[in-house]
Amino acid sequence: MFKLVLRNLSSHPIRSGITAVSVGVALFLVCVLTSIVTTLQSGLAAASSTRLVVMSSISLFVDIPLSYQEKIARVDGIANVVKWQWFGGYYKSQDNFFGQFAVDPERMFEVYPEVKVDEETKRKFLTQRNACIVGWQLAAEFPEWQQTGKIPITGALFPHPSGQAWDFELAGVYRSEAANFDNRTMFFRWDLFEETLKGAGQDPGVGVYVMSVEPGADIESMRAQIEGMFENGPATVRCDTESEFTRQFVSMLGDIPMFLGWIGAGVLVAILLGAINAMLMAGREQTHDIGILKALGFDDTTAFGVLITQSLVLCLTGGALGIALAMSLEQPIALAIGSAFPGFFIQSSTYIGAGVASLVVGLAAGAIPAWNALRANCVEALRAKGA
Amino acid sequence: MSQAMIRVRNLTKRYQRGGETLTVLDNLNLEMEEGRFYALMGPSGSGKTTLLNLIGGLDSPDSGELLVAGEDLAQLEGSDLAAWRGANVGFVFQGFNLIPVLTARENVELPLKLTPLSRSQRRAQAETALKLVGLGDRMDHRPRQLSGGQEQRVAIARAIATDPKVILADEPTGDLDRKSAEQVLDLLGRLNREFKKTILMVTHDPHAAERAQSIVHLDKGQLGRIEHNQPAGAH
Repeated sequence: MFKLVLRNLSSHPIRSGITAVSVGVALFLVCVLTSIVTTLQSGLAAASSTRLVVMSSISLFVDIPLSYQEKIARVDGIANVVKWQWFGGYYKSQDNFFGQFAVDPERMFEVYPEVKVDEETKRKFLTQRNACIVGWQLAAEFPEWQQTGKIPITGALFPHPSGQAWDFELAGVYRSEAANFDNRTMFFRWDLFEETLKGAGQDPGVGVYVMSVEPGADIESMRAQIEGMFENGPATVRCDTESEFTRQFVSMLGDIPMFLGWIGAGVLVAILLGAINAMLMAGREQTHDIGILKALGFDDTTAFGVLITQSLVLCLTGGALGIALAMSLEQPIALAIGSAFPGFFIQSSTYIGAGVASLVVGLAAGAIPAWNALRANCVEALRAKGA
Repeated sequence: MSQAMIRVRNLTKRYQRGGETLTVLDNLNLEMEEGRFYALMGPSGSGKTTLLNLIGGLDSPDSGELLVAGEDLAQLEGSDLAAWRGANVGFVFQGFNLIPVLTARENVELPLKLTPLSRSQRRAQAETALKLVGLGDRMDHRPRQLSGGQEQRVAIARAIATDPKVILADEPTGDLDRKSAEQVLDLLGRLNREFKKTILMVTHDPHAAERAQSIVHLDKGQLGRIEHNQPAGAH
C-alpha cells in the first residue's frame, strides 16, 4: 500500500511538491521564530544572580560618574568592579552594526570568567593601549581583521578628536560558552577611551558598573547600600542582579516574544489549512480508487490508512525539509541577526518540536479525507469520477 | 445436477431518492449453479447491477436471503464481508476500474496482498494471470498506456488472480469495440470452461449474452424468463 501512497503523491508532483515545500518553509520559520524567543529566554536563564549591575536610576542611556567606581569597590562583599561604556561606532559603514564597549581590561576577565581567550590574546589586550578583543562570531563575519590586525571604528557617539576613525589593533578572539554573554561584540580598553576624550576636553561617563561579589555576600543588603550611597550624589543609581538587569533589558523589547509566538502560530495554522486543502483535493480525486480497493476486499481501515499515510508522508517530508533547512542555515542566521539577538541558536528540542508539529499537521490534514474514505460506500465510491 | 453457487430467496432492495422509495429488487428468487456462465439481461432500471452488487457483497439487501459460495451474506458485515469478497469474488466492471497510478502487474497483484502469499509468489501469480489474458508483454504498462480492450483484460486478470469461485462482470464489453469485446467474451468463456468459474455477466448486448449458458431476464426488479442455450463460440 505504501507504493500506492507514493504513486498517488508522485502523480501530482507540482501539488505534492508545493505542499511539502510550504510545510518545510513554514516549519523552518517556526524553528527560527521559536529560537529567537528561546535565545532571549536562555540569556535570561544564564544571567548570573551573583553579579550586580549598577546603572543610572533614570535610564540605561544616562551615564553615571567615573568617580563611583572606587566607592562601589569599597562596599563589603564586592570582589571586583568593571565599568562598561557603550561606544556606538561602526566599521566602514553604518550597516556593519555590532556592539563595542570600552571596559577595564584586567577586571573584565576577573568579573567574567566565562569569557575565554588564549594567553597571547590576554597579554596583548592587557599591555597594548589600542588593543581590542572580538567575539568569534564577529571575527568570522569580518575575516579581514585577522589578516590585517587592524579595526578602524568610526565613533558615532564619540568621534575621535582627529576627525578620523579610532584605530584598534586586534589582540585576538574571545569565546563565551554562556548564553548571557554574546560572541558578537568588541571590547577595547577604557584607558584609551578616557585619555583620548579627555585630551579633547571631554569627560566621559560610565554606562554601567558590573560587580562580582564574594561568596556568601548578602546581595540584598549590598544592593540597598549601593543605591543609598548615591542618593544625594550627582546621579542616583539603581543596583540589580545581572539576571534582573537582563530581564529588564529584554522587557524593553516589549512583547516581542509573544508577538513572535503569535506569528509562529499563525504560520502553522496557515500551512495546516493549505495542507488540508491539498489533502481534500487528493481525497476527492481518489474516491474512485478507494471504491476499487474496497471492491477488491480491502477493508475500511485500509482505505483510511492510504489517505492518512499520504498526508503524513507529505507533511513529514516537508517537516524534514524545514528541519534540514534550519540546520543548514542556523549559522548564517545567527550571523545575520546576531546584533539584535546575540547568541542565537536552535535547540534540539526545537527540532523535535518541529518534527512533532509536522506529524500533527499531517494527521490533522489527512483526518477528513481519511475519515471520508473510511466511511465511503463502495458502490457510490465506484461511481465517483476518478483522477 | 450441480449444487447452487448463488441462492437468492425473497430478496428485496429499496433506495430512497428525493424522498421517494424505489423498490429496485422485489422479492426476487433465483438460483445459479456452480460452474455455469450466466448472462443477466433486462431494461435499464430493472435491477441488474443492484443484484450484481448484492451478490458481490458490495451492497446489503433490505430483506431476504442471499447465499453465495455457501456463505449467508446477511450475516457478514464490515471487514468480514470485505475479506469474504476478496477471497470469493472477482469483479470485472464496464469502466475497467484499474488504479491509474499502478502498472498492469501491480493492479493484478493488488488483491493478492490480502492473501498470505510472499511478495515473489504474488508477483509470479500476477504474471501468470496476465499471461493467461494475453498481456505478458504489457505488464509494466500503466492503464493509460493500454487500449480499452487491454485494460479490460488486465481487469479480468485481476479478477482471477486470487482464484475466486465467482466472477461478476458488469457490462464488461460496454466500453469496447467489437473486436476487443469478442476477446473479452472469449476470455470469460474460457475461464468458465477451463477453470470452472461461475460467471454472472450483466449485459445489454444480446450478442454478448449468447456466450452464456443461461440468460436470466429481470424486469422491474422481478425475475422474468430464464433461457438456456448452447453458448456461441464454445469450442
